[in-house]
Amino acid sequence: MDSASPQPEEQAAAAGSPSEFLKNIVGKRVKVRIGSGVDYHGLLTCLDGYMNVALEETEEWSNGRKTAEYGDCFLRGNNVLYISVLEAL
Amino acid sequence: MNIKIQDSTHSTRYIDIYITQRTFDASQLFIMLIFSFFKTLTDQVITVELKNDLSITGTLKSVDQFLNIRLDGISVEDPERHPHMLAVKNCFIRGSVVRYVRMAARSVDTTLLEDATRREAKEAKK
Amino acid sequence: MDDAANSGISEPLDLVKLSLGERVFIKLRGDRTVTGVLHAYDAHMNVVLSQVEETIHIVDVTEDGNPLPPRIEKRNLEMLFVRGDGVILISPTQQ
Repeated sequence: MDSASPQPEEQAAAAGSPSEFLKNIVGKRVKVRIGSGVDYHGLLTCLDGYMNVALEETEEWSNGRKTAEYGDCFLRGNNVLYISVLEAL
Repeated sequence: MNIKIQDSTHSTRYIDIYITQRTFDASQLFIMLIFSFFKTLTDQVITVELKNDLSITGTLKSVDQFLNIRLDGISVEDPERHPHMLAVKNCFIRGSVVRYVRMAARSVDTTLLEDATRREAKEAKK
Repeated sequence: MDDAANSGISEPLDLVKLSLGERVFIKLRGDRTVTGVLHAYDAHMNVVLSQVEETIHIVDVTEDGNPLPPRIEKRNLEMLFVRGDGVILISPTQQ
């Protein structure tokens, strides 16, 4: 599984199932990668079963450059490739 | 659950929907809002912009829950680019190929629409 | 953003609900963005907006396949329905 590799190893130990992982990362700084390859870095406010995501203090990164900033942002779940935590759990 | 619907012939009928754990999803309710919104636009002139950039203007004759659209008296925005559309007088547009629907601001009661959205959002959360 | 606003968010759709009647920025597939006042949305992220400005980001390619500098095309529309399957991101605008 490619999408598992960017996550640091300690998280794999902390979170058993995928849904447990998702529960544990709410409120943490995360990176959300979407299908087009664009990344969204921000504080994870919440997510739902469709993988719709709400982020705070969001930065949009594309081709290694910051392309936008959003105070709050909603990401439609179908676009989400993976969610990776940027801090310790 | 009884859902009252009005079909294109303006006759009203009732559909019984058998609700099970598997088929019933709160979000199902929350998609009726836009369907109802389009029903209020019936007989108005709208422009449907498709994902292939073709824009079709016509009178909205009917819409269904997939947001498929039937248009009458149609014209195409860029006839030189789409000469094959010139002879077409009416059409059925599959909902999934629609990018935008443009309409006159006066044909929409925005306060009513916002209230209905808040109500449906609240219902869906239950 | 202030905590008072965020305390009302228990699911991602709440963020969109809080933007009803406000100006939002929406990023769409196909290098398009729209801003407009949000009047309705549903679970698919179908939305209805007014006072809309649409921006299309276009990168033209020369005959030998080299990209030219990107250019943008803008359009104003008074009332617009946007189909949810094209939506990538929705954000309340700052002003």
